[in-house]
Amino acid sequence: MTDLQIKGLTKAYGPDMTVLQGLDLTVPSGSLAAVLGPSGCGKTTLLRIIAGFLRADAGTVTVGGRTLTGPGTHIPPERRRIGIVPQEGALFPHLSVAGNVAFGVTDRAARRRRTEEMLDLVGLAGYGDRMPHELSGGQQQRVALARALAPEPALVLLDEPFNALDSALRAGVRADVRAALRDIGATAVLVTHDQQEALSMADLVAVVRNGRVAQRGHPQDIYNRPADPWVAGFVGDAVLLPGTAVNGTATTALGTVELCEPTDALAEALQGTVLLRPEQLRLTEPGEAVPAGTVTDIRYYGHDALITVTVDDLDTPVDIRIGGHVTLRPGDRTGIRITGQATLHP
Amino acid sequence: MRNALTRCVSALAVAALLLPLGTACGVGGEAGLVIYSGRNEGLIKPLLEKLEKSVGTKVEVRYGTSAELSAQLLEEGDKTKADLFLSQDAGALGALAKQGRLEKLPQPTLDKVAGQFRASAGEWVGVSGRVRVLAYNPSQVAKAPDSVRDLVKPEWKGKIGYAPTNASFQAFVTGMRVLDGDEATRNWLKGLKANDIKPYEDNLALLNAVDTGQVSLGLLNHYYWYEKVAEKGADKVTAKLHYLPGGDPGALINVAGVGVLKGSDHSAVAVKAVDFLLSKEAQTYFTDKTKEYPLASGVTSTVPGLPPLESLKAPEIDLGKLDSLQETLAMLREAGMV
Amino acid sequence: MTTARAPWVLLAPACLAGAFALLPLGYLAVRSLERGLGFAWGVAATEGTALLLGRSLGLAVAVVAASLVLGISLAWLTVRTALPGVRAWSVVATLPLAVPSYVAAFAWLSAVPELAGFTGSAVALTLVSYPYVYLPVAAALRGIDPAQEEASRSLGHGPVRTFLRVTLPQLRPAAAGGGLLVALYALSDFGAVSLMRYDTFTRGIYTSYRASFDRTPAAALSVVLVVMTVALVALETRTRGRRGHSRTGSGTARPAVPVRLGRMTIPALAWCGAIVAAAVVFPLATLGYWLAAGNLAAWDPAGLVNTAGVTLGVAAAGAALTTALALPVGVVAARYRGRTADLLEQAAYAGHALPGITVALSMVFFAVRYANPLYQELPLLVCAYAVLFLPVAVAATRAAVLQSPPVLEDVARSLGRGPLRVLRDVTVPLAAPGVAAGAALTFVVCMKELPATLLLRPTGMDTLATRLWTETGVGSYADAAPYAAALILLAAVPSYLLGKQRT
Repeated sequence: MTDLQIKGLTKAYGPDMTVLQGLDLTVPSGSLAAVLGPSGCGKTTLLRIIAGFLRADAGTVTVGGRTLTGPGTHIPPERRRIGIVPQEGALFPHLSVAGNVAFGVTDRAARRRRTEEMLDLVGLAGYGDRMPHELSGGQQQRVALARALAPEPALVLLDEPFNALDSALRAGVRADVRAALRDIGATAVLVTHDQQEALSMADLVAVVRNGRVAQRGHPQDIYNRPADPWVAGFVGDAVLLPGTAVNGTATTALGTVELCEPTDALAEALQGTVLLRPEQLRLTEPGEAVPAGTVTDIRYYGHDALITVTVDDLDTPVDIRIGGHVTLRPGDRTGIRITGQATLHP
Repeated sequence: MRNALTRCVSALAVAALLLPLGTACGVGGEAGLVIYSGRNEGLIKPLLEKLEKSVGTKVEVRYGTSAELSAQLLEEGDKTKADLFLSQDAGALGALAKQGRLEKLPQPTLDKVAGQFRASAGEWVGVSGRVRVLAYNPSQVAKAPDSVRDLVKPEWKGKIGYAPTNASFQAFVTGMRVLDGDEATRNWLKGLKANDIKPYEDNLALLNAVDTGQVSLGLLNHYYWYEKVAEKGADKVTAKLHYLPGGDPGALINVAGVGVLKGSDHSAVAVKAVDFLLSKEAQTYFTDKTKEYPLASGVTSTVPGLPPLESLKAPEIDLGKLDSLQETLAMLREAGMV
Repeated sequence: MTTARAPWVLLAPACLAGAFALLPLGYLAVRSLERGLGFAWGVAATEGTALLLGRSLGLAVAVVAASLVLGISLAWLTVRTALPGVRAWSVVATLPLAVPSYVAAFAWLSAVPELAGFTGSAVALTLVSYPYVYLPVAAALRGIDPAQEEASRSLGHGPVRTFLRVTLPQLRPAAAGGGLLVALYALSDFGAVSLMRYDTFTRGIYTSYRASFDRTPAAALSVVLVVMTVALVALETRTRGRRGHSRTGSGTARPAVPVRLGRMTIPALAWCGAIVAAAVVFPLATLGYWLAAGNLAAWDPAGLVNTAGVTLGVAAAGAALTTALALPVGVVAARYRGRTADLLEQAAYAGHALPGITVALSMVFFAVRYANPLYQELPLLVCAYAVLFLPVAVAATRAAVLQSPPVLEDVARSLGRGPLRVLRDVTVPLAAPGVAAGAALTFVVCMKELPATLLLRPTGMDTLATRLWTETGVGSYADAAPYAAALILLAAVPSYLLGKQRT
């Protein structure tokens, strides 16, 4: 079993350049974890330390119980059994596709078979004799994955591997990569700043901010129960409303909503920010007892649309996500209703 | 991907790395008499082939400039492989003698050459002599001056040529410093410069300039003129030579010489080689081939028109002391001449 | 980019190469201090020294400036414009590398004696050394994404402003590297300045050997030259800046659309033609004149072929060793920037401005003491070439390694290859064309080398350069001409390949 355990990882490039400050992360064997964060949060440094290209100032990295980085320990990259899929693939331009894939396979007898297996796995059987520049970007990326997987690594690192692909291709390559990783049950860490990519591919998402894991969990939990407003905003559109919570229910200008984590029934009412997703708000007919507002902007995306409404009792407008059919016009009056559960942040 | 250059270079590199290995294995064959020669190969190679036969030992020769070879010999110290050093000028030999790198030659060998053309302590001996002369163009100059000291006079303004980087010229200036003192020499050089003296690349170019009348007078070594006459015929050479009388500094006789290195494994053979260089055969070779003066007593030059060595009135200078060129060069530089 | 420590398998040979290159400095320290610091200081710290230093620097500045103008203009014309015959020009532009400085100087001097002095030295040195600027700048020009220039044009800058503000700044590292080699070449050259009778520092060092038969003052003067070299290298490093790392990006950009010269075609052709005529045709024509004036019967074709073979052999050995030593230094300099890398690079350059005689004497010094069996044998001569020309190969290797993205090496490490095997399987194959170019360049300069060859060659061995020296020494230019011509023609082959190569 090849679970990844990271404890207290610290790295600074200078007195004022602390990049990782005691980062902890656990990835169970066989799962795909996404490390999600804005640029400069330290996720690339994290990846390079896991791979062994960089030394950590403190902390440990353990894969399958084997300490790779720790006090007094630094296993060089070539002895870590960690494959990486870099940005833009970084195929060796002087080697054929097969030469690239076979590069890390030390068992000469198995080299040919393994190469074919891997190319087959990524759906590029028969491409072995091509040179890298003869492939499309998506194909290059899949060869890079095959190359990383060929030596049967304990762990695969993917460094924003889909950035360079155009959006039409991206979804397909993502699905292929995920399927290939699932097939062989690899433990993998995907580094990305794209929340859609993280949520859609990973079994586990770790949101990193300022060199620490701000929240770690299942993609749905991260989205629906963010640890704080910053995480909420980073992983998706958020609606923030001032509110008061009593006994597991929050009261806001848009009505009452049930909280995910019930508050103490006996305690006094709790003041805070109530956090909702735009798709939790519904448009209704305006009426007496219904919170209402005026439509100020409509952004239409085809499969859905975001309606901005200036609510009568609120300073900031709210966004509401609706299905693909929009009949409203800016200036129309509308009622608003909350569905589902929310989180409360003091 | 792989281009022609990469392929060529890889192939060459493999071959090239094997080459020195191969030769390194062949190190240390039978060593013969090793000669360091500051004299040009084209000039002296046939003579050294005769020398090889005469001494009966295999001879190996390294060619270079006298100055660089003497620096190399000093650097090698007692580990040198050289047995004999043939120098273009006495200065380089003097420097080696001063550092104790030369063996004293046997008296019979030394005695073959007049005292003024060998080291006073006997570490080296001259084998051929070259005389500083004034070349003049008779169609422009009726009578060349009898002393180089006169060249600063206004009547010669713009009419004199010289070869400032030539070692013989610089040796002559050094000789003048020994004779007349630094102050007088410095003033003389400044006077020449003020007299608009014209620099030439080498003595050959200078002689041609005198011949064609670009300048009327030229300061050079005697043998250039005799070589030109031998090559073109006497009637085709306009320029004439004037040998300065009365021990004038401009009549310096410098020598090319030879010394035996201390610690030579072949010192007996080396002395034999020196004796060969002073033999009638070798001395005649020098005078025939280079138009230099033979220095061994009893050998006279057969070059037509060459005045006998005894008739020349050279200044009396210890040639071993001509190793203070540094100050001469500083002086030439100061005068804006080099 | 993060800075990791260089692995020992790279660092150890790189340090070895650095130490090797520092041998002449060790020798200079011994020699210049043998009569005490006071004496050395007395020799070095004089008005004359300052004067010579000023003249040398003046010459170097003039030669570098002129080489930059020639090199950059030719590079731009041959890489970016629709100049008629552009491929031929790009090859011919590198041929002056094949011409030894003393041959160029002699040709000019015999044609225009008035050039003697500063002007002649500057002209001769510029015409033989501008390819050091041309080659890297042309390579850099090919590497620049034309999209940047198009962006500049669309933002309202004309072609000239675009060149000055977008293109030129990106050429700076390449031009600075080439300029440094030119500067060191100009400082260390003896052949051209002695023929041109221009007193420089190097000539001062030579005359110091010749005039005083004393190695201490010459060594003290040489130390001054080393200090100057280190200062120049530091200056170049600063110009290059910390941005020495390779481009990332998805491979090759579109090739640029050649600029149409229009009315400027004729002047551009004239410019290229004039440079090539002055740098290549003219010296060859002079040799042709010597040949015609000479006696054809006196030719020794067998000897010529033999000498040419020896020359090719030792030059190839010199280039091979130099490249092998330069490889780890170049890789460390490209991939592991930091104090160690800077020191190593400086060490490689430190002796490069020294005149050949000083380097040769230092090899004599060490060889007779510690490697006597090798003394005056081929391996020692080859070692001297390596010390003399290490920077040429280091510069080429560093530039070549920088061309490929470092992530490739990271990937190779993660796939289980150790540092040495990464070097063998990834770094070197990718940098091979550039490394080969460096080797070819080193090969050419080894072929032309004279002072060290004279002192260190095995007794009785001759190269084309030493034969040339021998023949001109007795004033027989007609006899010298075949050797000079053979030297230029043979050196022209690798130069031609360099010019043909598209990186």
